[in-house]
Amino acid sequence: MKTIHIFTIFIMVVLIQLFVPSQMIFNQELILKKGKVYKFKTHPVDPTDPFRGKYINLNYEIGSYKTTDSLWQRNEDIYVYLTKDSLGFAKIDTIGRTLKSNNKNDYIKAKAGWYSSYSNTLSIEFPFDRYYMEETKAYNAEVAVRNRQRDSLPHNTYALVYVKDGAVVLNDVIIDDMSIRNYVENGSSK
Amino acid sequence: MNSKIQKDIKELVAEQVISKDTASKITSYYLSKQRHSSNKLFTVFAVLGSTLVGLGIILILAHNWDDFSRTLKTAFAFAPLIIGQAMVGYAILKDKSATWKEASGVFLFFAVGASIALVSQIYNIPGDLSSYLLTWILLCLPLIYLLKSSALVILQIVFITSYACSLGYFSGNKTPWVYLILLASLLPHYYKLLKQGKLHNITSILNWLLPLSFVIVMGAFVRDNGNFGFLIYVILFGLLYNIGKIPFFNDQKLRRNGYLVLGSLGTVYMLLLTSFNWLWEAVFVNRLNFNSQAFYIALTLFCLALALLTYSYLKKWIRNFNLFQYAFIFFMLFFMISLVNTGLSVILINLLILILGIMAVKIGAATYHFGVLNYGLLIITVLIACRFFDTDMSFVLRGLLFVGVGVGFFVTNYIMLKKQKTLKTQK
Repeated sequence: MKTIHIFTIFIMVVLIQLFVPSQMIFNQELILKKGKVYKFKTHPVDPTDPFRGKYINLNYEIGSYKTTDSLWQRNEDIYVYLTKDSLGFAKIDTIGRTLKSNNKNDYIKAKAGWYSSYSNTLSIEFPFDRYYMEETKAYNAEVAVRNRQRDSLPHNTYALVYVKDGAVVLNDVIIDDMSIRNYVENGSSK
Repeated sequence: MNSKIQKDIKELVAEQVISKDTASKITSYYLSKQRHSSNKLFTVFAVLGSTLVGLGIILILAHNWDDFSRTLKTAFAFAPLIIGQAMVGYAILKDKSATWKEASGVFLFFAVGASIALVSQIYNIPGDLSSYLLTWILLCLPLIYLLKSSALVILQIVFITSYACSLGYFSGNKTPWVYLILLASLLPHYYKLLKQGKLHNITSILNWLLPLSFVIVMGAFVRDNGNFGFLIYVILFGLLYNIGKIPFFNDQKLRRNGYLVLGSLGTVYMLLLTSFNWLWEAVFVNRLNFNSQAFYIALTLFCLALALLTYSYLKKWIRNFNLFQYAFIFFMLFFMISLVNTGLSVILINLLILILGIMAVKIGAATYHFGVLNYGLLIITVLIACRFFDTDMSFVLRGLLFVGVGVGFFVTNYIMLKKQKTLKTQK
């Protein structure tokens, strides 16, 4: 093959290599601009990814749903319809295997977890359980949240999630009306 | 150039054994050879350097710099990518040396990984390790053929294998079918290497890496019916051994023939594992579902191995009887017998291992290869050691087996002694 042909193919590869991360950024920005914001009450813990660094893993309080339908398969796609409670936190309206055209609420495409026939609840794996943090802060963040939960003040650690047409962007995690990054930095955990 | 050679050439010219013309030709030959080898070394160091720099960038970005704004972080995500692309583009356009292409290709490979990782971080994009690795692998696949880069092939095999492990064993527990397609996409490059540079070091490395990758990943294909796993692995090792026995590979040194070594070691390991009675009683009994993915994979592998064996036979590649090549057929048979009588199949497997050990000793003795000879003896020794743990067997049966093994040792020693004696008398 001639050099110019190889180079032409290479340019195509370059464009694809640039397109993929750009597309990722574009999609996320679109959701942040046009999506509706929800607050999800959460409990973070800090694991590590070999390539992407430290993140805190977020377990959500609304991570399960009471249903008598026991035929859910693990990892099955599930549509979670959202609404808000009186304090403005996200609450599950209903769930379904397919989209419900008569439901006008926002929805999130998630995965089904385990079904417990004892308590008749289905656990839900939300696609926004990772919040990446600076490596020195992730563990401190977990400790901060744990300490915060021990005191008598009302629990108000939540994730700020933008939702648009089933897609989501986890924008921030908030403790005491403060971004968790600043919360850890300010030493509020002490 | 070696100073001894220089001295010898001077002496040969002085003694008029060779002409001055020949002497200069010999000198220039050695010099060019030397230049070639230093180039190779430089390539290896350049690739290692690129790998370290690339991994370093990934680690630095993984720190997740909180103080930078989202826009600045995005710029950081694209900077290494664009630098890598510019370097590779320059190497292609100017048709630079292999060193340039290998090093820039490896750098770009890691830059692609770093950029997707950083974008995922910035936006907290979900997705497990396997989907991230797959995107990375796919974006870099064409580079192998554009740069004709062997370092990239090695990296791709390592990453494709990690992807399959991540999907099959760790995060998803799904069958990694895409693994087969990804691996197949590397085969044209491998085929070209086999044809054009069968003695190159890189070809030897691939002769080891490819079968090793298969051995690591195969377990991920056995999802729903784990009991077939033993059968699948024995057949896979049989297939690898038979590939290693193809004259193209078999005529090369043993250290270049990963198929043969892995096939042989794997077969013996699996057989030793299944030679325990408790394993069959605890795992196998009545738990086989023949209408399962695992069974069909076992069947496909068996057909492949059998087809290769038949082809080798028709091509007259098989001259002497070598039980290692047929061990998987026997195991398939014993596996079926175990459905009716597990005790009998365990005895048969033990016999098979014993005969394999003796065969290895025989092959070692015949080819004067002491490695193979000791390997055979080792198989027999490990078999004896294993039988000490099998307390469930009746004493009579164990006694009989031990007598059999003991007789085997006498026979092998006798053959060895006889060989040595005849060799001495020949001298």
